[in-house]
Amino acid sequence: MPPETNSAALPSPTFNIVKRRLSFFGLTLDECIQVFFGGNAFVAVVILGLITYFLFREGAEFFGQNRQNLTVYRQAGLEYVDFMRRQEQAHTALTRDLFELRMRAVSDMTTRQGLTLAEANQRLASFDDYAGRFDDAIGPLRGMVADLTEVATAIKTKFNINQDKLEEREQLQSAGRTVEANAVKVEPVDFASEIAPILATRDAYLENNRVLAAEFAKLVEQVPAAPTPKLQGAVERFKVKVKAYVATFPSIEAEMAAWDFRKSVPLWKAFSAFIFGRQWLTASFWQDWYGVVPLFVGSLMVSMVALFLAIPLGVGAAVYVNQIASLREQRFIKPCIEFISAFPSVVLGFFGIAVLGEALRALSQVTWLQWLPGFPIAERLNALTAGCLLGLIAIPTIFTLAEDALQNVPRAFKEASYALGATRLQTITKIVVPAGLSGIISAILLGLGRVIGETMVVLLCAGNRIAIPDFTEGLSAFVQPVHTMTGIVAQEMGEVVRGGIHYRALFVVGIFLFFLSLGINFLAQKIVRRYRISIG
Amino acid sequence: MSAPTFSASMDPSTKSIRTTSPSPTAPEGKPSAAVAPTLIDIENLDFHYGATKALHGITLKVPDRQVTAFIGPSGCGKSTLLRCLNRMNDLIDGTRIGAGSIKIRGVDIYQRDVDVIELRKRVGMVFQKSNPFPKSIYENITYGLRLQGIKDKGRLDEVVEKSLRGAALWDEVKDRLHASGLGLSGGQQQRLCIARTIAVEPEIILMDEPCSALDPIATAKVEELIHELKLKYTIVIVTHNMQQAARCSDKTAFFYLGKLVEFAPTRTIFMNPENPQTEAYVSGRFG
Amino acid sequence: MSAPATHLFQAKPSFARTAEKGVFWLFRSAAYLVLLCGALVFADIVIKGAPAVFTTTFPFVNTVFLTEAPESLYVFEHEGAKREMGDREFRAFREQEAAKAAAQGRKAPEIKATSFVYSAGGIFPCIVGTVLLVVGSMTIALTLGVASAIYLSEYARQSPLVSFIRLAILNLAGVPSIVFGLFGMGMFVIFLEWNVSLLAGWFTLAFMVLPVVITASEESLKSVPKGFREGSLALGATKWQTIRKAVLPYALPGILTSSILGIARVAGETAPIMFTAAYVVRDKLPWEGLQHAGDFFFQGVMALPYHIYVVSSKIPQNEYTERVQYGTAFVFLFIVALIAATSIALRNKLRGRYKW
Repeated sequence: MPPETNSAALPSPTFNIVKRRLSFFGLTLDECIQVFFGGNAFVAVVILGLITYFLFREGAEFFGQNRQNLTVYRQAGLEYVDFMRRQEQAHTALTRDLFELRMRAVSDMTTRQGLTLAEANQRLASFDDYAGRFDDAIGPLRGMVADLTEVATAIKTKFNINQDKLEEREQLQSAGRTVEANAVKVEPVDFASEIAPILATRDAYLENNRVLAAEFAKLVEQVPAAPTPKLQGAVERFKVKVKAYVATFPSIEAEMAAWDFRKSVPLWKAFSAFIFGRQWLTASFWQDWYGVVPLFVGSLMVSMVALFLAIPLGVGAAVYVNQIASLREQRFIKPCIEFISAFPSVVLGFFGIAVLGEALRALSQVTWLQWLPGFPIAERLNALTAGCLLGLIAIPTIFTLAEDALQNVPRAFKEASYALGATRLQTITKIVVPAGLSGIISAILLGLGRVIGETMVVLLCAGNRIAIPDFTEGLSAFVQPVHTMTGIVAQEMGEVVRGGIHYRALFVVGIFLFFLSLGINFLAQKIVRRYRISIG
Repeated sequence: MSAPTFSASMDPSTKSIRTTSPSPTAPEGKPSAAVAPTLIDIENLDFHYGATKALHGITLKVPDRQVTAFIGPSGCGKSTLLRCLNRMNDLIDGTRIGAGSIKIRGVDIYQRDVDVIELRKRVGMVFQKSNPFPKSIYENITYGLRLQGIKDKGRLDEVVEKSLRGAALWDEVKDRLHASGLGLSGGQQQRLCIARTIAVEPEIILMDEPCSALDPIATAKVEELIHELKLKYTIVIVTHNMQQAARCSDKTAFFYLGKLVEFAPTRTIFMNPENPQTEAYVSGRFG
Repeated sequence: MSAPATHLFQAKPSFARTAEKGVFWLFRSAAYLVLLCGALVFADIVIKGAPAVFTTTFPFVNTVFLTEAPESLYVFEHEGAKREMGDREFRAFREQEAAKAAAQGRKAPEIKATSFVYSAGGIFPCIVGTVLLVVGSMTIALTLGVASAIYLSEYARQSPLVSFIRLAILNLAGVPSIVFGLFGMGMFVIFLEWNVSLLAGWFTLAFMVLPVVITASEESLKSVPKGFREGSLALGATKWQTIRKAVLPYALPGILTSSILGIARVAGETAPIMFTAAYVVRDKLPWEGLQHAGDFFFQGVMALPYHIYVVSSKIPQNEYTERVQYGTAFVFLFIVALIAATSIALRNKLRGRYKW
């Protein structure tokens, strides 16, 4: 029998492999199970979506509210008054310069020239007289600002009360209590008439400005000679500053002339006021500002300190463990560093408050360390304290990932290098580290992400002063207290009115953080992927 | 060079075939493959891994209760074809049948309504690297039966003994049935895997280079086992080792670059192949 | 010169060699400096915190600290002696003094006391709260995470969708914990109106730790040899039977040990529970005063990490408050460290044992 015809010769009823299984909605049991697991896999995607949705749900309205906030700022004349206020504050800064000059003069005289304090004060009498006159010059403007501040605040308060009443009426109406709703009286604020008294001061202000300019021109000429020769430069600088100050008058006047309370505030202003705003000022009697810059700068500075410490230590330890250490050392060091990563951040924060802050300050008072910028430290809790602890948090992340990256460098590379007569150090620096570099960079980026997102340490140890540190003195900015994006959310979220602008502003900070971390993550992954392609 | 081994091992196998073959009329010495009915009927099969075509128009009829060997150099598609026979390739991403069909007992196993699970029960497989589960020997063997819901202790004991005897392992392990399967030697592990396969009573056993990881003595034992198994099962074996193909198979298929070059009784392939490529390969000139 | 027969490959001291040694020492000191810092922090907390938790007399553990709720501490001078008392004790003492004075017919003496909140009593409610939070959130995270990992490692094939899921998991891992806190507040506390509750905290923490669990589980599943799956499938097992019988049992130890690290993270986080689950102070234990069994899930709890935050930022640092501050930090660090150490040790052991 030829084999070709045999296939039909074996009709076997036993070889029954046709499906006969339970099915739900056309799926077999196994397919149902697969669908179940597949659904679960989407959890991560769903959560990311939910996070985005709910952050925006709570936060998006901030921009509308902030626009309203800025509109009131303009309509009630606060903005107008702030032009003058800025002029006044610039003067105050100059007065402070004079005061500082005097302090330096006194210390110079007492320590170097051997004078007693009384003698020094006597010698500085003429200087003091001048400083007094300089300070008094601004008097009229100061008075004007104080008066107008009251007027503007009153307008704003009136408007706010009206808003509250409106809201009350709406609530009553929606509750169906029409009679009561109609009983709530709302008198719309007529900004044009309310603001008139403020604008009416314009002529007086301009007149005053002319007087001021003339006064300062005179005062510049009368600046007394430097009390000690060392301060000559400072005095000269002061003169230049005063001249520059007077020169700003016309531009301020022009700004005030162009100002119109009817001009509406565009929506992008609400955005830019958040993203580029240099002030985060809340619950203020005058005007609330929600600018993220000081917080962002704070986060950035703390992270810089942390990475400054964590990169050399983390990567160094990774290189050591992966390339140099003996097997026994590896077995000891790796779990220990992993163990450090399990330290709860709140405990580290507590350690910072209880020990590290004080220890750093004590260290900063050691005489032979005075050459370091910012030493001695004034505040116990500052960017440096928080940064050091964050460094300890970032090290395990960077270490583990960098070590992985080094581990993934093909053995063959190393062997080839040794075979060509390279030393261990040469092999490490020329072959292993460059080959693992993109992995190391992405490790550093992920460390950065970890540090920027860390909350408790900065909340407890960064000092929580919401201000952009003074960078004029270089690195000493790093020992000033700062506030951070994560810290502000944690600190203020418990105290704000749900649905208010402040509450929403905190959510917008959260959105900002969220996308920042996504960006860092994305970058890290991209770097790693590019590296994979280049290797094979 | 392979001729002496070949003829020496050919004899007992032909004898055993004669006694059990459905066509016992086959004359002595004549390759029995010619008379065995076809069990697996592969027709014009094209197979793709993603964009690359791994098999080109394979047509092959595997006879019932005989040993069919697939030989050929690495990457020639022999393992791929083997894994098509119980649809293990389904597990690999991007694989598909381009054209043609595989029929077992006349049933197209790539039909839509085929239950792959049922198919795999009928078509067992032994892998290149022995892969016992890290359980006891006993549990390894009863694994398949338990999946089918068989819990009866007596029945299971019986199957364990039968399968282990069938795999020529009973005497070596009967005292430690509840020891871990991983504690066995390589050859024993492979025979345990065979026993595990027999336990579900398939009709066909696919063997994917079952001896490639074994030493010569263990290999000899497995080969011996193959001879015994073909009394009851149809065996398809992929092997790199030509002597092995010559020793244990009845028919041999030579593959090269995804094509079936020659398929004939083993004796013909090794003694006087028709195709010059086959000749070159079996005589060790390439591959 | 007179050195015994130098050969061609004689090692010679050279600058390169010395430099190499120097650089290696640099790397070594980096590694050990990290360990030193960690050890310093650990030692400080342990040394200053242990006295609050352990005592020199039987039963060697300060049971009050571990089993009672926090109280205010009153420090005052009485009859020339400095006394420190917890809130309840102080009240009883005052009444007793007043009674004594009344009996003697004079006016009750005014006791001038300085008080420090939370500085007396113990931290029992915080321990309970933390345990509840960890157990609940890890249950949720493990269920979701393991299922998700099973899909990714066993079912998923290469497709844009799957790489999208992986991308989402990676990105989720990088989201700051405070953002999870905000999200939990927005979704669970406000939108679903669960208020500050255990349930809200559970989900927030579970979502936060999910990427850790998925990654760990997938790794464990992947480390089960392919042969097990093929062997099982070739015996006619269904996919689910294969997963249940031939994959999961061998991956489970790995999944659990790696997930313990997730537990450490959950227990250690403060930011996500600040607005979702934690109360500064709550005088009832979670199982007290429940009207319905369901109310259990909708109540806030005290938690160790949040308590540490409160006692370290809201009360001054002095000799009286140090006990509760360091004591709480010590107990917390001890618990977390124990969890982490267990995980690390178990994993190292598993690595050695499972060689397929």
